[in-house]
Amino acid sequence: MNRRRFMTLTGSTLAVLGGGHAFAQGQPRLRIDPTEFQPVPIAITNFLPGSPADGDVGNGVTQVITNNLKRSGLFAPIDQAAFIERISNIDVAPQFQNWKTINAQALVTGRMTRQPDGRLKAEFRLWDVVSGQQLAGQQYFTSPEYWRRIAHIISDQIYERMTGEKGYFDSRVVFVDETGPKERRVKRLAMMDQDGANVRYLTRGSDLVLTPRFSPNSQEITYMEFGQGDPKVYLFNIETGQREIVGNFPGMTFAPRFSPDGQRVIMSLQQGGNSNLFVMDLRSRSTTRLTDTPAIDTSPSYSPDGTRICFESDRGGRSQIYVMAAGGGQAQRISFSKDDTNATYSTPVWSPRGDYIAFTRQGGGQFSIGVMKPDGSGERLLTSGYHNEGPTFSPNGRVLMFFRDPGGSGGPSLFSVDISGRNELKVPTPGFASDPAWSPLLSSTSG
Amino acid sequence: MKVKVDKTLVASIALHVLVLGWGLVTFSSRAFVAPEESLPIDIISTDQLAQMTNGQKTGDKKEAKPKVEKIAEAKPEEDAVGKVTEKKELIKTNSTPEPPPKPVEKPVEKKPEPPKPVAEAKPKEEPKPPEKKPDPAKEDPIAELQKKLETKKPPKPPEPKVAAVQPQQQPKPKERSFDPAQIQRELDKRAATRHELTGTTMNASAQLGSTTGTAVANVATWRGAFQGAVKRCFTPTYNGQDADQYEADIDIPMKIDGSLASEPVVVAVRGPSRSIAQAVAESAKRAIVQCQVYSFMPKPQYESWKLIPMTFGLKDML
Repeated sequence: MNRRRFMTLTGSTLAVLGGGHAFAQGQPRLRIDPTEFQPVPIAITNFLPGSPADGDVGNGVTQVITNNLKRSGLFAPIDQAAFIERISNIDVAPQFQNWKTINAQALVTGRMTRQPDGRLKAEFRLWDVVSGQQLAGQQYFTSPEYWRRIAHIISDQIYERMTGEKGYFDSRVVFVDETGPKERRVKRLAMMDQDGANVRYLTRGSDLVLTPRFSPNSQEITYMEFGQGDPKVYLFNIETGQREIVGNFPGMTFAPRFSPDGQRVIMSLQQGGNSNLFVMDLRSRSTTRLTDTPAIDTSPSYSPDGTRICFESDRGGRSQIYVMAAGGGQAQRISFSKDDTNATYSTPVWSPRGDYIAFTRQGGGQFSIGVMKPDGSGERLLTSGYHNEGPTFSPNGRVLMFFRDPGGSGGPSLFSVDISGRNELKVPTPGFASDPAWSPLLSSTSG
Repeated sequence: MKVKVDKTLVASIALHVLVLGWGLVTFSSRAFVAPEESLPIDIISTDQLAQMTNGQKTGDKKEAKPKVEKIAEAKPEEDAVGKVTEKKELIKTNSTPEPPPKPVEKPVEKKPEPPKPVAEAKPKEEPKPPEKKPDPAKEDPIAELQKKLETKKPPKPPEPKVAAVQPQQQPKPKERSFDPAQIQRELDKRAATRHELTGTTMNASAQLGSTTGTAVANVATWRGAFQGAVKRCFTPTYNGQDADQYEADIDIPMKIDGSLASEPVVVAVRGPSRSIAQAVAESAKRAIVQCQVYSFMPKPQYESWKLIPMTFGLKDML
């Protein structure tokens, strides 16, 4: 946890201010606390093509970056029709006054060039329009088919440099794709980029699949599948397409999730009318029982440091969220509804940053998605409706994705909302979709 | 051939013409008047006003009366009286000395003294401000000067006039005589008024429950205007639930024309994440630079905003 405060004194401050600083200390500091959040206006120019054949790729990269930053809710890309200056060479500093005129605070320029060896070279610069300083500049080489991923990586660079936080654009989402009529719904495992592009189907849909979860290295997925016998937890290797059953338990296993180090899978095992939490070591295949109660304990999720788990349990009569040590022991209830004593909490998931636990809350005839601190304080509902369920955090912990089912003859869809609850968006999918799980960041964006 | 005229039609036409004519005159558009230069203002809520007029709990009960009221009421009167004495002295030097009647002697004694000491003594004798104010409309210094030059009357006129002016309760408007001190008196009076009302040290001491007790905290000054101007450009990129923990202290060197003398200096940043806190500081710097020039800043008070220390926070973002 990085809760400690810190103070940074720039060494140049005293030198620059000299006596003036002492003067400043003599009068009270003016204070500004903006009450309304406003996205940062940013101008993103078309990436210049190194050759005429690279024009489409350049424009595509620009569109992906623009879409990413806009959907984040933190940036407001300026319409290119308003641009005064046309960038013809990214190695020459722009005329910043032209960008100030259209109220841009930041400017992105770039170039895509095909190399003699067939690879694609991507370059970009991020400019602070107000100060005229270059904030970031990078170049990447990749195969031409991965141009979208390059665009996501550049988006993460811009996001991180402007906000001080890691981005989340270079990531994927695994979900359950649903097709067909409601009574004969076909559910397949599917995976896509976080913006809905590059959809891949991982299973054929012959068996019902639920609750897919990424491994920490994003190379494996664990999920529950209804096969011939009892539903079982499976491991699926994305690269090879191979799958295997996790453990060999006599009853139904469900709600699996990887530990932060990827070496264990925690899940629920049904025994009679009860279910308890078990963890299995993937190397030794040994299992450990974590709970032993005459109740339903399920939906476990590790804290980022792997020392604690949160889960839902009806041991108190209604489904609530509990936290306990990763090795088991005394569990502490953290969910307490203030306005509705009959409300229930379920599907808890710990934020990658460790600061919040997201949940589904059912009460007052509505399903809500919310967050609370690990000690149960600071509960905040982000969205409510007929049926919202299954939150999953983005790699940087700033955005939640969940599925919403409007009821009727329709089907569920994926939505995202930032943890302030202000920016809710529908995530494009080919058909109906449910049970999303966000992958970790595929690449490190720290430059 | 006789044309038959419908009287009702004629009456109707006449009435319509009258109404239309009246409408044209009444509703005719006025000449476009260019809008006056806009000024930055702050809208103060009732809570803020209540806070400003609350007084300070740490104030001294003994000094319940603010210095503002005391100084502002006393000085203008004293100045006026003091200038009368000066006039009297000039007259005496030019003419034969005559014993002044009644207690008018006091002003004569104070002639050589500077205006301030006089001001301290006078208020006790003449506590009512309205009575002391001369009527500027009735006195015409220029006319007096012209008349004086023409007639060159010796000491006589001055003496009664001095006696009349000193009390200032019954000025003699119709007497026109050369009185150079009268002009000076008028000018000095205006200057004295401006000086007294703009005193900056008047509210220096805390007052308990006074209506002006915390007037110094009034944001409806250049401070409020500056805050508002910078706030318009401040677009921080963080709105997480721990946003209230992030702050950036920035010192802003200013030129007298309201532009930045140099780049704003980040003095300190605070928050759980260093990188986020620095991003907040950078966003604040962009806002400061982008929103310049702050031309509304009062030049006479330049020393007070030559270097503006400012804190940017996110506590109200949620």
